[in-house]
This record gives sequence, C-alpha cells and structure tokens, in this order.
Amino acid sequence: MSFNDNGGVKNKNNQKEEFTSHELGKEHVEAPKYSCALGGAYGTALGVYGLVPLLHAGLGCGLGQLFGQLYAGGQNAGGPVGGTSTATTGLVEEHVIFGGEDKLRKLINASSEVYEGDGFVVISGCIPALIGDDVDAVIREYKNDIPLFHINAPGFNGNSYEGYELFFEALIDQILTPLPTQKGVVNILGVVPYQHIFWKGELLTIKKLLESIGLKANIIFTEADGFNKLKELPQAEYNIVLSTWNGHRTAQKLEEKFGIPYITFPSVPLGPKQTSHFLKTVAQKLDVPGEKVDKFIKEEERRSYRFIEYSGDALLIARPHSYFAVVADSNTAIAINKFLVNEMGYLPDIIQLTDNPPEEYREEIIKALTEGLTSTIKPEVVFEPDAHLAREKLRDRPFQFLFASSLEANSAPELGALHVTVAFPSFNRIVLTDSYAGYDGGLRLIEDYISTFAGPL
Amino acid sequence: MIKRKQIAIYGKGGVGKSTTTSNLSAALSDIGYTVMQVGCDPKNDSTNSLRGGKPIPTVMDTLRSGSNDFEQIIHEGYNGIFCVEAGGPEPGVGCAGRGIIAAIELLDNNGIIDDYDPDIVIYDVLGDVVCGGFAIPIRQGLAEQIYTVTSSDYMAIYAVNNLFKGILKYSGSGGGLLGGIIGNSIKSLAEKEMIEDFSNKTDSEVIQYVPRSPTVTKCELEGKTTIEGDPDSDQAEVYRELARKVINNQKKFIPKPFDVDALNDWGSTWVSRILLHQKTSSQGIQDDGSGV
Ligand SMILES: Nc1ncnc2c1ncn2[C@@H]1O[C@H](COP(=O)(O)OP(=O)(O)O)[C@@H](O)[C@H]1O
Ligand code: SF4
Ligand SMILES: [Mg+2]
Repeated sequence: MSFNDNGGVKNKNNQKEEFTSHELGKEHVEAPKYSCALGGAYGTALGVYGLVPLLHAGLGCGLGQLFGQLYAGGQNAGGPVGGTSTATTGLVEEHVIFGGEDKLRKLINASSEVYEGDGFVVISGCIPALIGDDVDAVIREYKNDIPLFHINAPGFNGNSYEGYELFFEALIDQILTPLPTQKGVVNILGVVPYQHIFWKGELLTIKKLLESIGLKANIIFTEADGFNKLKELPQAEYNIVLSTWNGHRTAQKLEEKFGIPYITFPSVPLGPKQTSHFLKTVAQKLDVPGEKVDKFIKEEERRSYRFIEYSGDALLIARPHSYFAVVADSNTAIAINKFLVNEMGYLPDIIQLTDNPPEEYREEIIKALTEGLTSTIKPEVVFEPDAHLAREKLRDRPFQFLFASSLEANSAPELGALHVTVAFPSFNRIVLTDSYAGYDGGLRLIEDYISTFAGPL
Repeated sequence: MIKRKQIAIYGKGGVGKSTTTSNLSAALSDIGYTVMQVGCDPKNDSTNSLRGGKPIPTVMDTLRSGSNDFEQIIHEGYNGIFCVEAGGPEPGVGCAGRGIIAAIELLDNNGIIDDYDPDIVIYDVLGDVVCGGFAIPIRQGLAEQIYTVTSSDYMAIYAVNNLFKGILKYSGSGGGLLGGIIGNSIKSLAEKEMIEDFSNKTDSEVIQYVPRSPTVTKCELEGKTTIEGDPDSDQAEVYRELARKVINNQKKFIPKPFDVDALNDWGSTWVSRILLHQKTSSQGIQDDGSGV
C-alpha cells in the first residue's frame, strides 16, 4: 500500500484507488459533520445580535442551512433574523444566466427598510461565485447609507469552519478601523457558533471567568449590541484563541492589521485543571496581579473538587477507569479527553476528529490529544469526517463510553457503549446555555455521562 | 420525408462559423430542404445574413420576459429558413454557458423543433468548448454530427483540438461525433496543407476548403449570404458543394486530439513554414527545393 497525493490509498494488486476520508482532498464524505462555508458564515452572523444576514444564494441554500447548520447545532432555531426569517435573493435560472446583481440590489433596498438592524451582511453562496457576480461593487454603492459588508462564501470553498474565518476576514477588511487599545480587554476567538454546539454557554462562561480576575472579554456572540462588539475588536489588548485551529487565521489577520498579539489554547478549558491553567496563563500575559488570580483559582478548585466527590460512589462502584471513545471536532475532543484522563482517571481508547482541519494544524492537534496525559495509555487518533467510516472504526473496541454527535447515538447500544451527545450534529440534544466550560463544566460533563448508567430506580 | 439531421458547427470566434453556417443553410434550402439554424452565441448574430442583416429577438429574451409565447423565437429568413438565436447575458455578467443549456432545453422540451419539423437543424455554437454549457450540443447526441470551422491560424486549430477533446470525452456516452473539418479563409496552398496535416494527425477528415473571398464581405455588407447575394459566383458554388457533401456525409469520426505540448510542437513547425511561404510570395524569393 502506498499513499498518493490525494491521500487515497493505492492498492498494489489492482492499482485501484480506495479513498479514505480522513485524508484531505478526499472524494466523498458520507454525512459530514459540518455544513458549507456559507452555512458557517451564516451561523456566525446569526450569533451576532443586531447583525442582519442577507443570503445571495440559490433558492434553498437558506432553508438547507436551517436544517443542516442551525437545527444540527443543538436543535437551535435561527432567532429573529435567522431561519425562515432570513431574506435571500433566491437565485434561479434567470439569475444564473443574466447575473444576480440586480436582484441583490433589490434585496438590500427592501431589507434595509424592513429589518431593524445595526448592520447588514451579504453572504454569497455558490451561484454568484460561479457566474462571477460582482457583489463587492454592489456593496460599495451603499457605502454611505447602510452599514454593510460582504462575505464571499461559496460552499465549494470549504466547510462551516472556513465560513467562520471568512466572516471575520471580510469584517476586518471592510468594516474595522483602528481604535486605541483598552487595557484589560481581550477578544475571544475559536468558538464557532452552532458548529461548536455549546458556543453560547462556553462564551458566557469564559466571559465570567475572565471577569473574576479583572479582565473584560469581548465574546462578540450573544451580546446584546453584537454589531458594536464586532467594531470594538481592534481595541483589545490581546486575542485569546480557544482552538488548535479555528480562529487562527482571524487572530493572525487582527495581529497584522491592528497589531493585537494573540495567545492560543487547544480548546475551551474544561474542568478545574484546564481552567486554572487557562486563567494563570492569561493572567501572566496580561499582567493581572497573581494573588487575585490565585485566590480565585483556589476557591473554585476547592468548590468543584468538593462537588465532584458527590459523584464518587456512583463512579467508583459502577464504572471506574473505563475506556472511552470520542467522535467530535478537535476543540471538544481535546477538552473532554484531557479532563476524563487527567481528572477522572479514565482510559482513552480511540478519538476520531470530525472537523477536517487543514494539514498544517494536524500535528498540533495530535500532540494536544496524546501529550500531557497522566495515563500510560494513549488514544488512537484518527481524522475522520465521514460518519459511516467513523462508525465502522468504532467496532470491536474496549470503550464503554462514547462521546460523539447524535449521529452515533443509535449505534451506541450495538457497540456496547453509553452515548453522550457532545458535538455537531446534535439533533437529540437541545443546547441553550449548557456547556462543559470552566470549573462547573467538568461537573456538568460528569452529570451527563454518569446519568447514562446511574439508576434506573 | 427523411429522418431529421441535426448537426453542430463549432470553431474559434471570428473564424467564419456563422458565415459558413448561413451559407450552408441557404444552399440546403435552395436544394429543397427545410432548414432550422440555431445560433448558440450570446453575440446573437448567427442568422443576421439570412434576415437582411437584422437581429432577431432571442430565446433568452423570451425566457427573461417570463413569456410562454414560443412563436416569438422562430423567425423566418431567406427562403423560409427557420432562424433561432439562443442569446445570452451581456458580456461580463451571468453565465452564457447556462444560457445555451437553457435555450436548447427550452427548444427541446417544448416540442418546438417537432412543431416546425425541419429536415435539418444546424447549431452554430460559439468558440472553444470552454465549459459544460457549450458542450451541450455535443452531449447526449443532440447533434449527431459535429463540424468544425477553422482557418490555418494556430489559435483556431487549438480551439479545434479542444473541441476534439470534448467530442472524445462524450463519445462513449452517446455524444455526437465528428463529421469533418471545414477549412475556411484559405489563401494559400500551405494553409490548406497545414489543416490537412492536422486532420491526418488527429484521425479526422477535411470535408471542404472554403477560400477567402471578397464576395463574402460584399454580400455580408448587403445583409445577405453569398448564396443569396451572388448565387452565380464561384464562392456560392463552393458553399453549394459543401451543402451537398454535408447532406450525404454519413461519416462519424472519433478524433484523436493532440496533447497540449505535442500540439505546440506541431504548430511551431507549421507556423514557420507558413511565414516562409508568405515571405517568398511577397518578396518573390523561392523557397529551397521548390524552385523551378
Ligand atoms: N471565406 C471567407 N471569406 C471572406 N470573409 C470571410 C470568410 N469567412 C468569414 N469571413 C468574414 O469573417 C468575419 C467573421 O465571420 P463570422 O462568420 O461572423 O465568424 P464566427 O461566427 O466564427 O464568429 C465576417 O466578417 C465574415 O464576413
Ligand atoms: S454548498 Fe453552495 S449551493 Fe449548497 S448550501 Fe452551500 S452555498 Fe448553497
Ligand atoms: Mg458567429
């Protein structure tokens, strides 16, 4: 067997290529765990309250995202300007042939009267990109009248995670202007709305944690004046990126354009150890007085470990030192793996990453999953966006717990495992404020997975 | 009644497709066939010389206006020839390829061609086979034979080679096959030889050479084909000969196109030969070995 450039495996005997989906550039992915770039940009836009997304796309793109991006992101509707309330040019054959620019102009004119928004964003999908609509020229016509920017996000350009970066790149290029630096202000990047199903809870938790040590976090999403929060991005002292790869391009661009340095963490911190490490590192970078941080950390650790003890009997009597498997995006997998291994004494069996990260980030991701573990057992790490292949790779393994998406829920009994939905798509778990972030996040994860076997009476 | 014959004529822009096609239609019509000519070029000037130089409303215009009045898209031209222009977007916007697909689907799906029941339908298709849209007349055997017009200009032959690639690609799935090459605007023997050599090397055949002639230009300025404007000219006879050959031609070639590098090498040897020939004819200097 040898690998070709595409990552396909060449079979020596018949020279036919068998493609394996964990490699980049692969030909087909069954039930991928993300939507298209337009979907990611759209979900991101909907996370910004006060920003009105307008889709310049085929008839059906918007509705497709309602199911494929929003409902899949923890059974969440789109809110007042999302889902069926989102305006679209709904391009059909006539626009494909003659161009869709006029229709877009009409849409912007009408929408700016109908919607009450602080800002508007046009998100272009496949059709305008294929036929070469000059959307930027149309947007420029409104320069002095409507706060408006354009994200060129054809689905064929990439997946939802790409859409998140495209959102910020467009914003930085078209809207943001330099602002004086505010001491103690940080921006939070790397949590992708809807795609990381606990985005709301995670961001709010991070905001509170940083507040406790005297920092002001601009989490952008879920804030009442979201469009202003976007415009305030250039005033931060630091950008904090909570991902091995999401938000990195955005942070780099903010550094290039506004000189804002950034710190990265492999994930949103989960449980006491990760959270304390997160706070200490941030405090050091931002010159927060050590005593204040230490005091906070001490109190929180004491409380959360005291609480964990309540689960001790259920855990030790029924399922101590269990093997577990994870099928999730990198952020989620890294956080859960570290917590279960280093704080719960669990054993990592196999970790399948569903977010198809670019090649250059993969080594870092593997490191984050296999290094700094207190167990001698290391997980097998696989990049696998294909739902079917991921399921096949779960067969005949020792794991008892499966932390995955709702797509794996039905296979869990046949695999002999208990299942918890922790990742996209999450059709069987509605997520409003839940998350595994911070000190309480560890407790929440324990609640969720112990509840799968505790009982029944 | 004969079985309807559908052919498509391809070639680089400006090479003389519409001129040749219109003369072919006119000649066929003179022989007694009912002919429909479908211009598949957003320029929509294919049938101009069949209609006194005047443009007609296009299929795309009809589609755009939302009208279902398909009567508007067929216009009678010289000797009752049915003239259709697919039309398309203005230059630089939209997708002309999809326009061609939509126009042809519209003609096909609404039984319009059947209603008019022509003996022969000729699609005059723009330039290079740049994308799937312009390959539509080749695909699914919509046109059973494909002809290509070329001059001895290297880029024109390059476009023919690309067309051959398109024909080859669809040849296994019921696509139209090559009927032959029409060499146009021929001014010298060397030009003819170059096209002949290309056809030999690509397993194809030249069906007719059409000389470059001022008669064509003169008639065009009057808004006429040569067949209509100067029926007694030698040039008109060339077009009538082409018409007779096309109607009787049953050949279907699967051409063997050059790959790009090989075409380049082939082209450069021929271009220097033709340049030398031009020099010898303009300066009266004899080429080696061909002296008297
Ligand atoms: N055999 C010929 N002799 C003289 N002029 C010609 C000949 N063939 C084409 N032309 C001229 O070349 C120009 C382009 O021809 P046209 O048929 O419109 O090209 P196409 O349809 O391939 O773009 C026209 O002005 C036409 O009169
Ligand atoms: S892939 Fe393209 S067509 Fe499909 S939803 Fe995304 S933007 Fe629309
Ligand atoms: Mg033409």
